[in-house]
Amino acid sequence: MSTRLKLLGAAAAASLLSLAVLALVVAPEDARQGDAQRLMYVHVPAAWLAYLAFFVTAVASALWLWKRTRSTTWDLLAGSSAEIGVVFTALALVLGSLWGRPTWGTWWEWDARVTTTAVLFFLYLGYLALRRTGATAEARGTRCAVAALIAFLDVPVVHFSVTWWETLHQDATVLNRELDVKMEGFWMPFTLVWSVVAFTLLYAFLVTLRLRLAELEEGREASDLERAIAERVRAGDPVPVGGS
Amino acid sequence: MDENWGYVVAGYAVTVATLSAYGAWLWQRLRRARRGVGD
Amino acid sequence: MRLAHDALLVAGKDLRIELRSRVALQQILPFGAIVLVLFAFALDPDRGVLPRVAPGLFWTAVLLAALLSVNRAFALEEANAARDGLRLTGLDGAAVFLGKAAAVAVQLVVLEVVLGVGIVVLYDVSIRGVGLIVCAAVAATAGLAATGTVYGVLASGLRARETLVPLLVLPAVAPVMIGGTRAFEAALDGAPADGWPWVQLLTAFAVLAVVAGTLAFGPLLEEDA
Repeated sequence: MSTRLKLLGAAAAASLLSLAVLALVVAPEDARQGDAQRLMYVHVPAAWLAYLAFFVTAVASALWLWKRTRSTTWDLLAGSSAEIGVVFTALALVLGSLWGRPTWGTWWEWDARVTTTAVLFFLYLGYLALRRTGATAEARGTRCAVAALIAFLDVPVVHFSVTWWETLHQDATVLNRELDVKMEGFWMPFTLVWSVVAFTLLYAFLVTLRLRLAELEEGREASDLERAIAERVRAGDPVPVGGS
Repeated sequence: MDENWGYVVAGYAVTVATLSAYGAWLWQRLRRARRGVGD
Repeated sequence: MRLAHDALLVAGKDLRIELRSRVALQQILPFGAIVLVLFAFALDPDRGVLPRVAPGLFWTAVLLAALLSVNRAFALEEANAARDGLRLTGLDGAAVFLGKAAAVAVQLVVLEVVLGVGIVVLYDVSIRGVGLIVCAAVAATAGLAATGTVYGVLASGLRARETLVPLLVLPAVAPVMIGGTRAFEAALDGAPADGWPWVQLLTAFAVLAVVAGTLAFGPLLEEDA
């Protein structure tokens, strides 16, 4: 691991540790939600990271699709970032649920943000399944890139649809669906910003590692194939030329 | 508001567990890939 | 216009195959109807639940049947290397996309008419706001057919196509589910004014899906699978 990567990892670790202290000890409890609100400091950055990760996937996919910039690295980056994005999306959903239970009284709400995040999760789960259908970037690159871009563009449409749906269903009971916390004092907004920074560093570290892994495995895939063909040739088998 | 600490602890524990598990899995796969061992 | 002509060619081909094989008529249509019946088992027909949720059940049945329709549309192309044949025709990817999507749409419209009769008969629904229903159905169907066709070609040739396409399509068409159901609810409730904004959403989605398909179909068709 290069020194820069080690530094990134250390920075991520340090910021996450300090986040834990800030979030659990230093930041004051919320006037309305009490200590349950502390889950905001992990739920919000997880959700933010998911969107960032999928944005990176979309950009990398576009770069793959545009022939002039096409390169295996973009395909591998798209896949790596999406995988991390799915992990963060799942995390955001679970944390949102844990936050919602004491705050809303329910484990789930069908509001715009929660619903869109759930759809997002399934969209990219499908993307990850699609990635497993091709062993090399050449084989899977275009399909996956198109799927990633469609998914990315669909998300705001879904969000808009559900928001519209919500406004038609204004409940008489004031349910604090939005989980909006009033930022009071200095430590609450500071900790929130810190959490986003910490998670972003973590993302950068993880995606670099994941990309490294993908490159190694892709290289092995290609060399395995070459080796298998070379062995057949040496053994005297005729090299298959399309169709068995 | 003490009864809500359970949720907070659960949430932070899930976060640490998930990220550690993913990190560990990555690390394992990287080591195997570097050594050139088949899956 | 060349594009329209070629698209009609492709649509005609797919529909002619359907007329001869009758797969949609004899398999997909009954499937949609059975789903409606199953919903009645799942819910309580005695307590007036069914008419209230009829719009949602209708669109769920249509959605599931659309998956079968899309699957069929691309299974056609896998037999006898038809996909390569399609590429060799030199037809523009956009034309092939529009043609195939149109064929799927036509089959869905027929299905929707039958299922519409189904919910009137089985769920005791009274139809009001026919104009709204028709417009919503047209826009929703266009969006469904276009999205399904894009993912269909995206996954075509893959061994896992049949299980991948549902997983890919269903989350993507969430806006159609939401919009279609809300529009139908407004129509059946006798408050069509509430429904027309949803028709706008459905139309916007359909436009986006058609544009995406037109752009993506060509490159996707060129993929070796």
